[in-house]
Amino acid sequence: MTVQPGTLPCTGVTPVIHRHDLIIIGGGLAGLRAAYEAVSAGINVAVISKVHPLRSHSVAAQGGINAALGNADTTAHDSWEAHAFDTVKGSDYLADQDAVAIMCREAPAAVIELEHMGCVFSRDDAGHIAQRPFGGAGYPRTCYASDRTGHNLLHTLYQQVTAKGVTFYEEYFVISLFTAGGSCAGCTALCIPDGTIAGFFAKATLLATGGFGRIYERSTNALINTGDGLHLALEASVPLKDMEFVQFHPTSLYGTNILITEGARGEGAVLLNKNGERFMKHYAPGAMELAPRDVVARAIETEIREGRGFPGGSVHLDLTSLGEPLINERLPGIRQIALDFSGIDPVSTPVPVQPAQHYSMGGIDVDIAGRTRLPGLYAAGECACVSVHGANRLGGNSLLDTLVFGKLTAETIISDLPDLDLPEPTAIEEAVIEEDRRIVSLYSKGPGENIYQVRDALKKTMVENFGVYRNGPSMEAGLIEILSLRDRCHRAGVPLLQTPFNLPLVHFLEILGMVRIAETVARCAIARNESRGSHARRDYPVRDDDHFLHHSLAAPDSNDTITVRTSPVNLGMFPVKERVY
Amino acid sequence: MKFRVFRYTQGDDAPHYDVFETRGVPGMSVLAALTTIQEQQDPGLSFRSSCRGAACGACAMLINKVPRLACRTQVNELADEKNQVHLSPYPALEVDTPWDPATEVLVEPLPHLPLLKDLIVNMTAFFDFLQSVDPVFRPGDPLPGKEFRMEPDAVRKLERFTNCVLCGACFGACPVNSRNPEYPGPAALATLYRFHIDPRERDPGSRITSADTGSGWWACEFHANCTRVCPKGVPPSVAIDQARKELKTKRGAGR
Repeated sequence: MTVQPGTLPCTGVTPVIHRHDLIIIGGGLAGLRAAYEAVSAGINVAVISKVHPLRSHSVAAQGGINAALGNADTTAHDSWEAHAFDTVKGSDYLADQDAVAIMCREAPAAVIELEHMGCVFSRDDAGHIAQRPFGGAGYPRTCYASDRTGHNLLHTLYQQVTAKGVTFYEEYFVISLFTAGGSCAGCTALCIPDGTIAGFFAKATLLATGGFGRIYERSTNALINTGDGLHLALEASVPLKDMEFVQFHPTSLYGTNILITEGARGEGAVLLNKNGERFMKHYAPGAMELAPRDVVARAIETEIREGRGFPGGSVHLDLTSLGEPLINERLPGIRQIALDFSGIDPVSTPVPVQPAQHYSMGGIDVDIAGRTRLPGLYAAGECACVSVHGANRLGGNSLLDTLVFGKLTAETIISDLPDLDLPEPTAIEEAVIEEDRRIVSLYSKGPGENIYQVRDALKKTMVENFGVYRNGPSMEAGLIEILSLRDRCHRAGVPLLQTPFNLPLVHFLEILGMVRIAETVARCAIARNESRGSHARRDYPVRDDDHFLHHSLAAPDSNDTITVRTSPVNLGMFPVKERVY
Repeated sequence: MKFRVFRYTQGDDAPHYDVFETRGVPGMSVLAALTTIQEQQDPGLSFRSSCRGAACGACAMLINKVPRLACRTQVNELADEKNQVHLSPYPALEVDTPWDPATEVLVEPLPHLPLLKDLIVNMTAFFDFLQSVDPVFRPGDPLPGKEFRMEPDAVRKLERFTNCVLCGACFGACPVNSRNPEYPGPAALATLYRFHIDPRERDPGSRITSADTGSGWWACEFHANCTRVCPKGVPPSVAIDQARKELKTKRGAGR
């Protein structure tokens, strides 16, 4: 087909190019916190999201956000240093300690700021923000809004940025970063409601697209968490960091894998195997159910594998001793989830739970200021890896990460903007036409492979070979499977030419990224011959600081194969020690 | 299990219904059924979804003539007597397709908003109404050094309304919204009330006057469909009733 200059083959219209100083891809907490900072500084900022921002996965966060406010202190006093120590120990010493220090020092201000924006938090009797115990924490440090903390935070920030006049492009799926002259100057995106391709021309681009949990069969993540931002970065040769570290939440609802917050255990719920035994005493006699997530997830997995789980593979989370008033006050959403999705009332009956993928510690490699290695491109939140979570994130630290680094990265962008230049606008028009041509070629390939079968095979492979426990030979087999799925993906076509809300097209573009992300997880996991945090190898069961106290960096080489290099961990504040709970 | 699904693409002369049959599995939600149908039978079927756990509000639609979140609606419980929701009538509840409630789940888009494609509606008017109530916290000056102190009981009262996920189910259930294009609807008014009762506001208790009009608080007819369909237990009709009582008291005091 011949293409007239300046028109789109898919739609036959002149490309629409939107111009802003800063575009933020992703409308969850990190994206909106950054947008708030930028718009407050007078920056022309737009948020692009494949869903309405309030449908972002941040909204589903339940248990809370950590900050050493000290509101629940009795005799000993909490401090940001204690928070930093817990975070570093929780990370199995892989977190960069300078970054952790920033996050924990800024935590109280970040929480208070959202409260001052109107966010409603649960309160103690004195009227202060209430704080509950969470896994791996030395103090009751987790601020919460019953079990809807993410909902309250996201709705509050959305109200604020909307009032300040941030532009939203809702239901736009970003399909490529626009790079020119060695820097990023925007992106191209599919407008889902009408099927056109638009260009976004900006001096700075911030990726805040969240995690990639949906590459796993069992995940607590929203259906939209397909790691799109990580794929965009990889396609622009920006490395991903520490991708082998995938968090499995110990307590997802058996069946649907909807999250049951760690806050339930923080309030006193216990874990029981089929013999009615509180099995955590064998795995973490000190912390019991409030050991960090990697420890509890392994314990549950072991109980199930050794035959002490319930049929189908679950253990019981028993909230019955908490009593109805406390459950209604602090865990009402959990009660409703259990009722709605498994017909069980936790007030009277234990809830069957199983580990499920929950969070990605790894992500786009950024420095402590949120910059990637590509000038003009930044990343924050779950899609980024600073790293503050290292090999295992503590509960309550992800919401904190989004707020602190969303703000901080926006500050970096504000100071960088005067030095960032834009290329000629004709270049992005060409990029849009090129992307349009690519979409047309997908349509015209014919039916080919069924993308949903490819996706389902990928999810199964990831659970089987890159789950709670890993083993060299099975990971090697898993990698071969992933590479063959990538080939199958490239043979797939997309039905339905030029239709609004073309879901198979969006899904195809997502799955193309998912197989690539899976490959980085696999290659990083295979390269790390030790067990650390969430990365538990049966063939290398102990941590090996002599050889592996480093970050993994994965990026495509000149043959488009993902290769893994390493980079040093920033230590300094806390000496590396054995990790016991 | 059979699903009778509303279909519409812009340019069609009229919408129609397609019937799909899919194997029911225990615990299957309407959203899971739609996903299966889209992936295995008709890739062109369009609907919105995100969290699949009743937290995000993306998948509100009319299921068996009741606005609900598709993810939270269990297929095999739809027929249960305890799950029947009885609503005051409005035009969208009239059945104009040969639907057999005993054997088919009827899935249609949320009423009172413009159709875009199949089960997807344009939510712009809904969010514009939300903006019309100035849904942003206005604290006093100066701000406290730490958090505002709040009584736990004040939090409980606020939470009834902050739990709103802005899914639009109430808007699609409101008989007034079916015929009054000026009426902001239950979610927007509940949000206004949420800020009105927030004790941390600069001028708490002053906000309700902004909707003291014939198309604001006073347009509500107390069908209470909104409160019946809310998937998060938010009671907009209670907020509206409270607001009207407060306004009446104010007027009485000013006389």
